[in-house]
Amino acid sequence: MDGQHDDHRVDANGRSQEEREGPLPKRPRPLLASLSAAEIAEEFSHHDPQVARVNNGSFGCCPASVVSAQIRWQRLFLRQPDEFYFRHLHPSIDRSRALVRQLINAPHLDDVSLVDNATTAAAIVFQNVAWSFMEGVFDRGDAVVMLHYAYGAVKRSIKAYVGRAGGHVVEVALPFPLSSPDEVVAEFRRALELCRADGRRVRLAVIDHVTSMPSVVIPVKELTRICREEGVDQVFVDGAHSIGNVEVDMQDIGADFYASNLHKWLFCPPSVAFLHTRHSSAAGRRLHHPVVSHEYGNGLPLESGWIGNRDYTPQLVVPTALEFAERFEGGLEGIRRRNHERVVEMGRMLAAAWGTQLGCPPEMSCSMIMVGLPSGLGIASEKDAMGLRALLREEFKVEVPIYYNKQSPDEDGEDKIGAAAVTGYARISHQVYNVAEDYYRLRDAINKLVRDGFNCTLLPSKEQR
Amino acid sequence: MMNPTGASCLPAKPLQPASTHISAAEIAEEFSHHHPSVARLNNGSFGSCPASVSAAQLRWQRLFLRQPDEFYFHHLKPGILRSRALVRDLINAVDIEEISLVDNATTAVAIVLQHASWSFAEGAFRKGDAVVIFQHAYPAVKKAIHAYIARSGGHIIEVPLAFPVSSDEEIIREFCNALDRAKAEGRRVRLAVICHVTSMPSVVIPVKELTAICREAGVDQVFVDGAHSIGNVKVDVQDIGADFYTSNFHKWFFCPPSAAFLYAQKAPTSPPLHHPVVSHEYGNGLPTESSWIGTRDYSSQLVVPSAMEFISRFEGGIEGIQERNHESVVKMGKMLADAWETLLGSPPGMCSSMIMVGLPNCLGVSSETDALSLRSLLREEFKVEVPVYFHPEEDKNHGVTTGYVRISHQVYNVEDEYYRLRDAVLKLVQDGILAR
Repeated sequence: MDGQHDDHRVDANGRSQEEREGPLPKRPRPLLASLSAAEIAEEFSHHDPQVARVNNGSFGCCPASVVSAQIRWQRLFLRQPDEFYFRHLHPSIDRSRALVRQLINAPHLDDVSLVDNATTAAAIVFQNVAWSFMEGVFDRGDAVVMLHYAYGAVKRSIKAYVGRAGGHVVEVALPFPLSSPDEVVAEFRRALELCRADGRRVRLAVIDHVTSMPSVVIPVKELTRICREEGVDQVFVDGAHSIGNVEVDMQDIGADFYASNLHKWLFCPPSVAFLHTRHSSAAGRRLHHPVVSHEYGNGLPLESGWIGNRDYTPQLVVPTALEFAERFEGGLEGIRRRNHERVVEMGRMLAAAWGTQLGCPPEMSCSMIMVGLPSGLGIASEKDAMGLRALLREEFKVEVPIYYNKQSPDEDGEDKIGAAAVTGYARISHQVYNVAEDYYRLRDAINKLVRDGFNCTLLPSKEQR
Repeated sequence: MMNPTGASCLPAKPLQPASTHISAAEIAEEFSHHHPSVARLNNGSFGSCPASVSAAQLRWQRLFLRQPDEFYFHHLKPGILRSRALVRDLINAVDIEEISLVDNATTAVAIVLQHASWSFAEGAFRKGDAVVIFQHAYPAVKKAIHAYIARSGGHIIEVPLAFPVSSDEEIIREFCNALDRAKAEGRRVRLAVICHVTSMPSVVIPVKELTAICREAGVDQVFVDGAHSIGNVKVDVQDIGADFYTSNFHKWFFCPPSAAFLYAQKAPTSPPLHHPVVSHEYGNGLPTESSWIGTRDYSSQLVVPSAMEFISRFEGGIEGIQERNHESVVKMGKMLADAWETLLGSPPGMCSSMIMVGLPNCLGVSSETDALSLRSLLREEFKVEVPVYFHPEEDKNHGVTTGYVRISHQVYNVEDEYYRLRDAVLKLVQDGILAR
């Protein structure tokens, strides 16, 4: 993982391999044949071998060849940082941006910025909304709509910027479990109607492409269209989980702002994300990075390309990450398809083994799916969910996030799908490094807990966070 | 990866010999990844990171990649807390809650200025209230002032800095004049942004005196931008007395890019400071907010202890390093000024581990562009890395030096590098080369 192909010795002229051959030393070109299972295992051999790692969704993963590339960039900087800054940084960021533009079918390179993560992208969009309130472009009480299952950090960001600046925040209630995208659409329309009835202008709709907890795929194209029909000023699609997981097409979705992390499902190291703004969006041209530096006023892509001295190498290895993805049959699309098929297969296997059900129909899932946990486990709070997660990690070396579903069952003590009240769900992910054994271990761990009569009231009261 | 005692464990690194100080050969080894052909006289811009600290960083990065959930739940917070505690002691802060770790001083500036801009928006400050800043504040900081203060309706007062500068009194006088101007205009000064060590041209500003003057004059808050300070000049936040103080660890404190601290004096600030990138910890205090701003690589913040270990291998620790850097850079600065028959930009007592040295006028540095061209020329033709500063003439006073180099001295530098700069410039003069 230390870059076996590095050569930092200098030649007789004092030039390094980088200087002789260009910024990144050449690696042996891979053959056209797809990666074998052994090669995949090698690429991820730095993962803890004892852990059944079924949580790619939270922190993503990074193959050894991309890590090596990142180390080479880091060394290039340390070797002669001024030269790096004046010669290599800008063109390399542009190269990454150009590849992202292609990948997401964005018409203009100027509309593509690279930022740290979706959290940063959200801050950029919301800070701009806050300015609009403060400068009187929006009126106090104008609304911003978000989904109930919006990521917690994003909800806080909306309150920190929009709420604080005088905006009215509306949450779209979403049922869970879900049986069809129509349920999401119906609730969304209802929320917009409520705003209209209240006499509130909706300035921004924040729509997750793939929600985090519980995880479902939201029909963003349709919701964006509804927003246009209903006169919503701006649409921000928070696609934190999207790229490499579901199809992402800027022209097809048509949102004003779209952000996604490249370190979750696109094999980049932490951390890098893109923020795309629709070319015709007037608000788009007023976006600023909150960390202001030399490029202030030169457009968000340039502003984001220099926010003070820091490590920009995660942004620079996007080409290497895409090269890695291309080594799989069908490239990124093939990876997505197979991940989805496998996670559905494994999800069904688990639901059958536990006597529970999936949290949504397979077509509303991606490379992640929610699987109901046996109700006997007695998950009755967020704390229980965290405690069970920690227990699985420590006792069984299984890493999987647990969701506590607050939605109350109907009068029969059954939830909407008619099963016994399931209050907890595991969100399983499938990425190229996963094997069936990972999911069997999860299955068996839960079955053992149930067999042993475990329930969450038995969890130690002080759980390490 | 927990050891039986439950302590968070990084894979062990080779033990260091106990009592001997680091040798010249060991220093060279620690920086052997630097380009061997380059005379690297610009530690000020991008800093430097010894191999042992890079190795520590790599271990943290691998720990994350190995099992990121475990990293997040078990290792990250204690690691950041450990770094913050060390920083608190280093800068003589009272309370660990006063210490936040952020990416860089640029981010710290955004935090403080966004806070001020909310104050304008929410009516705590009135439109036309003033923010005072030095004319030679770092250009990125001036843009941030424009982006947050001017945009919110604040009035900006710039304090000119005479250069070359000959005494603290000159600086203090100009600063007082600026405060008097504000008073004469009936403007309340809400914030003074004072550099500790200016970037271009580089001089050490008497921040303690200026902060005291601010208090006397009723300035609401003082923010010292010490981007270059830590590891370069003494930083004692209680002694300086400012409300906010920031400095980068990756410039003079041997951390990799990038890590910095923002000190915020424990006093009720209403409303509290917030990190602009809002995440789960919003509302739990700036230190906690800053410790999680979404998934990213926090390893450069986690190696502050490793950087301190590295520093402790030097005689006199960080004070010893600072002292020797200062002496060496003054000595080399004088050597260059003599060789070029020019002058230093400030008295030695007003410089740090960096000093400004006048360039021969015949090089004709007459614009920012010229300065950049000369810098590129020195890099490409002579493999000398040194930033060049263009100082505009006043009153077309011919004979005034318009070009300066800013030389740095850090532990890896050797005298030969400065001779190479000397000879490069002499050759350019000899060949009649002009900067453009």
